[in-house]
Amino acid sequence: MVSKKKKKYSSGEGAQFMTRKAALKKLQLSLKDFRRICILKGIYPREPRNRKRAQKGAGGIKTLYHTKDIKFLLHEPIIWKLRDLKVFQQKIRKARATRQFGQMRKYLRDYPSINIDHIVKERYPTFVDALRDLDDCLTLCFLFSTFPSIKKVPRDQSLLCRRLSVEFMHAVIAAKALRKVFISIKGYYYQAEFEGQTITWIVPHHFSFQPQSKDEVDFKIMSTFVEFYTMMLGFVNFKLFHSLNLVYPPQLTAGFTPETDKDLVDEHAYVAERIAALNISVAKIAGSNEVEELPEIDIFQTEDGDPQKLEEAKLEVEKVKNLKTMFKGLKFFLNREVPREPLVFIIRCFGGEVSWDKDHFVGATFDESDESIAYQIVDRPSMDKQYLSRYYVQPQWVFDSVNARTLLPINKYLMGAVLPPHLSPFVDKIKDQVYMPPEERALKDPNFKPLDDEPSGSDIEEASDEDAEEKEEDSSEEDDEKALTRQYQQEVAEDSTSEDEDVKDDLDPEKKKLAKEKKKAMAVSTGVTHKENPYQKEIEDKQAFRLREKLVRKKHRNLYKSMKAGQEQRKKEIWLLRKKRRLHDEKVKEEKKAEKRKQKMQALEATS
Amino acid sequence: MSLIKKKKHVSKKNKKAWRKHCDIKDVEDFLEDQRLEERLGKFEAKKDSELFVVDTVGEEKPEVVDVKPLTLKQKKRALLPQTPKCYEVLLPTSKVQDPNAKRNHVNPVGTKPTALSKLSLKKQFEKGAYLKKVELARKNRRIVRDKKRRIKEIRNTFDKNIWGEDVLEVKGIPSTLCDDFISTEAQLHNVLPEQRLRPKPAPPKTLVTRPAVVTPHPGVSYNPSYQEHQDLLQQVVQHEEKLMKKEAHLHRVTTSLFSRLTPHEKENQWREEMSEGLPKPHNPANSPSTPSDNDTDNEYKAINPPVKNKKKDHKARRKQKERIAERERLKREKIDKKKITDIYKLRKLQTLISGKEKREEALRVKRAARRALVAATAPPALSAHRTPAPQPDLVEPAQLTGDLRNISSTVNLLRDRFESLQRRGALAASKLMMTKRKRLKAYFKPGHKVTDQDVENYLKKKMVKKTTKKAVVTK
Repeated sequence: MVSKKKKKYSSGEGAQFMTRKAALKKLQLSLKDFRRICILKGIYPREPRNRKRAQKGAGGIKTLYHTKDIKFLLHEPIIWKLRDLKVFQQKIRKARATRQFGQMRKYLRDYPSINIDHIVKERYPTFVDALRDLDDCLTLCFLFSTFPSIKKVPRDQSLLCRRLSVEFMHAVIAAKALRKVFISIKGYYYQAEFEGQTITWIVPHHFSFQPQSKDEVDFKIMSTFVEFYTMMLGFVNFKLFHSLNLVYPPQLTAGFTPETDKDLVDEHAYVAERIAALNISVAKIAGSNEVEELPEIDIFQTEDGDPQKLEEAKLEVEKVKNLKTMFKGLKFFLNREVPREPLVFIIRCFGGEVSWDKDHFVGATFDESDESIAYQIVDRPSMDKQYLSRYYVQPQWVFDSVNARTLLPINKYLMGAVLPPHLSPFVDKIKDQVYMPPEERALKDPNFKPLDDEPSGSDIEEASDEDAEEKEEDSSEEDDEKALTRQYQQEVAEDSTSEDEDVKDDLDPEKKKLAKEKKKAMAVSTGVTHKENPYQKEIEDKQAFRLREKLVRKKHRNLYKSMKAGQEQRKKEIWLLRKKRRLHDEKVKEEKKAEKRKQKMQALEATS
Repeated sequence: MSLIKKKKHVSKKNKKAWRKHCDIKDVEDFLEDQRLEERLGKFEAKKDSELFVVDTVGEEKPEVVDVKPLTLKQKKRALLPQTPKCYEVLLPTSKVQDPNAKRNHVNPVGTKPTALSKLSLKKQFEKGAYLKKVELARKNRRIVRDKKRRIKEIRNTFDKNIWGEDVLEVKGIPSTLCDDFISTEAQLHNVLPEQRLRPKPAPPKTLVTRPAVVTPHPGVSYNPSYQEHQDLLQQVVQHEEKLMKKEAHLHRVTTSLFSRLTPHEKENQWREEMSEGLPKPHNPANSPSTPSDNDTDNEYKAINPPVKNKKKDHKARRKQKERIAERERLKREKIDKKKITDIYKLRKLQTLISGKEKREEALRVKRAARRALVAATAPPALSAHRTPAPQPDLVEPAQLTGDLRNISSTVNLLRDRFESLQRRGALAASKLMMTKRKRLKAYFKPGHKVTDQDVENYLKKKMVKKTTKKAVVTK
């Protein structure tokens, strides 16, 4: 008996993959429908390890799919719906061809819509999964919300995107979830945090719609992506609003409800509507309280037990807490030349109130003449009428304050001032081992104080005086401590002597000796508080660390070594540059001093 | 107050009878009074001000409004909306609520159109009496239908927490069974199995690991610091240099391999080649001045002398053999000598070999690292078309105005997104094929009945059409 010969490519990589054409045949779909269902279901083409084998010996590069993926698609109920749609499309085509327009309109009216909410649930089994994948979704939705109706994009899609994006912004405002902002040439980068997930998205600058050249982007595909993303964003919004005790859907301005047939013909009118919608506070669910503040973090003894990390985490939490209420109770007024949308969003995110000129745009809440306005945001060199009760600052102040997480001093951002650079908050933390000149450090960390803060030479002497004073103070403090201890020792000594004297009076010397011995045996010596030797502890810690280093696996040892060497090297470089800077500064100081002395001498000589 | 009742003899034999005929009203009144006093306080203890009010207004007479009494007809009219007495028996008397909140409405008797009413209605309809009404009704119906549909659409409401555990639909219960009156057993019976028949394969690695929104370079800020902007420009320069190098290489390898000829040179070359072998025009410079060689008689003489088969003699053969053997011997000797010297060279050789091995090993590691880096960032090859390589964002110094009002951008965010999807492997790169529109040429088919007037009319019509189309486009 000869066993049956195995056919080539019936197992292994050849059987694992399937070309697109084969997939179309298997699913009995047209390419258009296949593309759509792939995007909706999250099925992507694959890159095989061995292309020749995966393509069953055929050359060239073909688009391949996992056979398993295609089999998974085979069970999707939407496929049946797509086939129904095909029938409908045929009917419509026929009606058009036979010029039965009434019939055609009826078919168009009753055109079934595909419901894909089960796919959202399937692709993102938990809410956190959905949040994790929100970057792309938000960026595309914000982008599409600026589009007019285009041929390949469904008409209501951009309206839906507008609504959903504004709703999401409201959720961010209510949750105070915004963390970072960055104005780039591309657009505004925002980063928010929900349930521990950071979400980054880009909002384009508001230019009027730029016509896209046709062969660059496939609008049909992008609009299919948006179709899925709007569904997902809707459910995410629903969940977010409910977790924040807000009513969903929120009642926004008239431009966002599909019921009204009011057309916002003017692009500016639409933008104004959108911003006005942002400035409305959303209705709370009746009888619900404020979302309670997160309690302070509990301190757990983690495995590595790094107190420094714990401290850092605590500091971070504290900072975020500060950030959340940064603008609370402050009133802002936006001048009309300022980009209002990002500013309204950001200010409202951190608890501020915003308004603008009510003659120009809808939705203003208070007037410019309101005396309780704390800041007026201005982007012009000067203004005719200024109020004394408020600060006039440039818009960058808001963005930089958010990134610094405190209200920055406004002196650099006043009206007409040359602005300091707008730094990116998205800089890697890993790359912290770089030399930063003191000026840059002062920019990034407002608490940082350069060692020699005296810009002018006249303060040098004073500074040295101060140093001396400080030293004196230190020494005096030390003296105080010494005096205290001395006093204490004296008192103790006195006590003991007095007791001894009492004993002396009564007893003979022999007995005294005996008693003394007895007393020695029985005496309770004064306890010495256990003092941890910090140096000793440091040594022990170091030893423990070295032991742990030994436990690094052989696989990772080289990597670890190189990492350590790199760290050392960078540290050394930084140290070297700092030293150079210090020497340079000292030299400059010396020179200045000498110069001054010279001048003084000259002046003296001139007078004498 | 006690009414004096006429005494009547009744039996008070048992408890029931006793209770029935015993008058305890006065006792109860008394107790009631007492309770009232306990509740409100004693009458004597109350102050006058609490009990009495000074009347300052005097008695008011109710204003007499002159109301006409209802006429009989009006009275009857008023009774109309009430349910007739005869139907009161049919009304529910129980206080228990109807368990079915949405009971089907049954038309009351008498509302059904009779044959006669139908007929008259039809007649009036045909006359056109209801035209406006019908139009209005149709419109209303359409509005209601649209509204209903819009409300139903999940895209407008999203009123479902798909990640919540408490929603029935989420548990997999069919929506037709999510009703109040369906028992949980019945609902659970219809739940689909939790375990999927085919678990969904994991998405490709490139899609999971690569970020959707890449964190921007700090130099793309609208108001960057000098250092960062220079850094960005440096990146762009490096990228551009790489491209230029590649291009130069391509040029060197292809175009510059071949020498170029000007058309003039080519022409000359062609002329030369074509005129090969032809008698050349007399050139006195070329022609030998001294006719000394030429003056011999015109006898034919070959340039190469004829070959002769001259045999080698024995001596020559021996000498050749000896020469070869000597050469061979020397070669051997040299090799033997080298063998001896190589023993002394062994250590040097070893270091040479080990050094080379080490270098190769280091190179291999380096190459592997580079390959890994490329694999980490390279777009997956998903189709015959190649994904465009990412280009660093260029912000020209002229673009940096430093204020938010005058930001100008050259970046197309949509294309950026599209390419990002391609780079992550969510889309296969493709070339968009634009459908070419057929250009139909319209012409007038001449027939035997066509006059010049017809042709003119046709042309005129066409012109009008064209102009209107243009107008629409310009709008």
